[in-house]
Amino acid sequence: MLFFSFFKTLTNQTVTIELKNDIRIRGTLKSVDQYLNIKLDDVDVLDLDKYPHLSSVKNMFIRGSVVRYVMLPRTEVDIGLLEDATRREAANQAGKAR
Amino acid sequence: MSFFGFDTTLPRDRAPPGDQRGIFDTPDPFAEVARARGQGYDNDDAIDFEDTYDGLGDQLDETQDAFNDDTFGGGGGNFEAAPVGKDFDFFGQTAQVADAIGEEQIRYSLQKPKGPVVGPPSETVPPTFAEQQPKRTGYEKYSDPGYIPDLQAKSSIWTMQKQPEPVPQLIPQARKMMSLEEVEAQLRHHGVPPSLGQHPVSLPQSMPELSQSLQRPPGLPEGMAQLPPEFLQAQFAKGVPPAQLMHQPPMAPEPFHFPAHAPNAPLHMLQNANLPPQHMVPPPQRQPMPPQAPRQHQQPAQPAVSQGPRGANNNSLPLITNPHQLMNLTEDQRIAYLMEDAKRAKRNHKIFLLSKGNGLMTPQDKNFITRIQLQQLVAAAGNTGNGDLEAILSEDFYYQVYSQIRGAPRQHPHQPLGHFAQTYLLQTGNRLGGHGRRQVQSADNHMQRMQQQVQRAVEAAKAKPKNKQLIIEGSLGKISFSNAKTPKPMLSIKRPESSEGGKTAKKPHTELSLSDRKSILTNIESAYGTLMEMEDMERTMPPPPEEDDAEAIQHHMEWRQGVRSLNQKLWQQLKVMEPIVSNTNTPHPFIAFLSYPKGKKAIPRIFRHIDQEQRVTILTMIVVNLDTLDVVRLAQPVPGETQPSLAVREAIDLFSQAVMPSLLGYVNEAPFSIIIGLLGLVIAQTQVQTVAKTRIGLGILTMLLSRAEIVKEAGQASERDWQQWVEKFNEVFDTLEPTFGDIFPSAINTGDDMYVWQFLAAVGIGASPEQQQRLVIAVKDRVMETVTYSKTLPAEMASQRLGNVNLFMRAIGLDVELLG
Repeated sequence: MLFFSFFKTLTNQTVTIELKNDIRIRGTLKSVDQYLNIKLDDVDVLDLDKYPHLSSVKNMFIRGSVVRYVMLPRTEVDIGLLEDATRREAANQAGKAR
Repeated sequence: MSFFGFDTTLPRDRAPPGDQRGIFDTPDPFAEVARARGQGYDNDDAIDFEDTYDGLGDQLDETQDAFNDDTFGGGGGNFEAAPVGKDFDFFGQTAQVADAIGEEQIRYSLQKPKGPVVGPPSETVPPTFAEQQPKRTGYEKYSDPGYIPDLQAKSSIWTMQKQPEPVPQLIPQARKMMSLEEVEAQLRHHGVPPSLGQHPVSLPQSMPELSQSLQRPPGLPEGMAQLPPEFLQAQFAKGVPPAQLMHQPPMAPEPFHFPAHAPNAPLHMLQNANLPPQHMVPPPQRQPMPPQAPRQHQQPAQPAVSQGPRGANNNSLPLITNPHQLMNLTEDQRIAYLMEDAKRAKRNHKIFLLSKGNGLMTPQDKNFITRIQLQQLVAAAGNTGNGDLEAILSEDFYYQVYSQIRGAPRQHPHQPLGHFAQTYLLQTGNRLGGHGRRQVQSADNHMQRMQQQVQRAVEAAKAKPKNKQLIIEGSLGKISFSNAKTPKPMLSIKRPESSEGGKTAKKPHTELSLSDRKSILTNIESAYGTLMEMEDMERTMPPPPEEDDAEAIQHHMEWRQGVRSLNQKLWQQLKVMEPIVSNTNTPHPFIAFLSYPKGKKAIPRIFRHIDQEQRVTILTMIVVNLDTLDVVRLAQPVPGETQPSLAVREAIDLFSQAVMPSLLGYVNEAPFSIIIGLLGLVIAQTQVQTVAKTRIGLGILTMLLSRAEIVKEAGQASERDWQQWVEKFNEVFDTLEPTFGDIFPSAINTGDDMYVWQFLAAVGIGASPEQQQRLVIAVKDRVMETVTYSKTLPAEMASQRLGNVNLFMRAIGLDVELLG
């Protein structure tokens, strides 16, 4: 749930998502779910020349499994907190696995 | 033939006099007569029944039927035998004209709304007479079965109607009397007798006309009837089922739906078929009303009467079962009725839309869905165990804390999940409870049962053992349980007990090499783990116990005990107390701890949870190991390089941001003796000259020197302590004097040298006058250099550099200004 929890804090931030087919999309993250499916608003496809069929797409729902990278606004990430959250997650996982 | 023996022919559109007219297409003078009579014009010759009517009917010549053939085309000579269809066809043609007239009427009534005064329109009447003639009735089209009115969705027609009505009320009537005469004159002139008693075919349609004519209240403006009846008539004549009428809202505003309810009780019932029982008005309750209505409203303008029904609203409004009953109501009532009807139509439409799925699910289906929802709820609640804040935090730590810190919107900040489920259910109950009493009760019961069910289910889930899998005896596999949050694992690997053993086996190894990278990182992580536990403890701190509350005191004691043990755990994990091994290449574990960024970052958090003694121990440990501290060791200036590598600079920055403030925070409260001791340690344990060449080293020295100065200024230093301090200070000064020129960053144009000037200032304050002179001599070159250099800089940067120099200059009683 760490990434879900993490991405939830990024809602309404502008992120760039690179899909596994190399399409890069910049847009406002509207919501994310536990599968890390992503809803983007006001999308802006980088390299639009290559993907003209996306030129009229204004918002989209991206299945989490096709996302390669999500590029985040650095200022919106609390690194120390994220480290702690990661530690907790790891502890949880360790606890569950046992 | 006719109800009262009058000619019931419609006052149909007046065709041009010269037209070839059907024998039945004659204007009906009697409607006007009756109306005029109702309005008290009985004594007027023009509308006296005897005068106007007598004889015309008698003059009717049956032989005129010969024209029928011309009109209707080759029909039988006897009109009575003429097929009905042709008759309608004829009217249809008329209606084509009427269509335009109807539009004209709408336009007229739309143009007029602002003219409450009678005057202006009346003056314009004579010229536009022919054009406005249709206004006298407005029922012309009713008899046309094929007439489809323009469904012009102008609600303004309805809302404005109240105002325009007074206008046509009087003038057209005056006009009408004229027109009656005129028409009669025309009729007489053309020798076409009014057809009396020859309208068997059109009788059903003209019946309403008669009753309208007779029963229309005198005060009732005729304009009122302009549109509604048209729609009524047209739509019912078309046989449009009410359900279809309901589908027209985009085209027609809601009021146009009222005909749907009007025609008769069965239709009304049909209309309401979708309503819950309490919305269904039992017909008998309303049926008696209509007969009374006409009587009431034949009295001209009875405000009291018309107020009554409106005040009582829908209950006292008569049930309209026939379109023309609507005409009999007073204006107020009619408006109220129309409003009511519009509301009902709206509601019906909504219900209709909602009811599309009615009956799709059986109660069993619903129960099934409810069970699934309950299961989901229970799964969610069950997974989070005790369902409290801790559970939420463990699942959603980042989001929850981030939201707290940054104030992001959150629906249920710290609401336990169990409560959440309850809240949700309660909300639903409230929402359902708005409709009716019975429903409220049943809904309450239902929701109560649901709640109880949920609670039971949640409890059961809690009670259920936490086993994630079930091994059925004798089976080869196991069944894994899963829910939304913990999906069924694909692999179920049972950890062998030996894995625990493996860990313990590793531990001696870890202890053997305290300083290898992996074990250092492990140490840091375990320290962080303990830190987080301590922070959790802090969050769950019980309120200060009351004196006599033994349980609370006990609770508090346990909590303090927990904090203490965690503190000890942390202290051991920091390994501050590991023995200092001199003359080894491996740094002290704690110094190694500090050599990693996350180790540095941990210091502020650690300092919050340890006591003063532990703090001074840490500070001592750092001071003693200043030489080996990474930010000192790696920051030594390398010949040929202007500044340390980027990684080292980052480390230095991090150290000065994370560690130094904590140390400074302690030093500022430390007793003087400790400061003296620390300075002694610096001298004894470290290469002061090397340490002084780094920013962190200088920073720590500055820290100690300035604290001593503050203590001296405050007069807190005892004479003996001060002597001791001066001794140490002189030693440091003497050691550093040869290298004062080297403690600066190598090039003057590289970055920030403020920390050096700060250090020199701290030295200068504490120095004796003689030492100050030596100090000035030592750094004179750098001062001059900086002053010269700052002249080449932009004003802002220059003043900053000079300000830095001035820190030092002022400390020894000088100023850069003096240097010119």
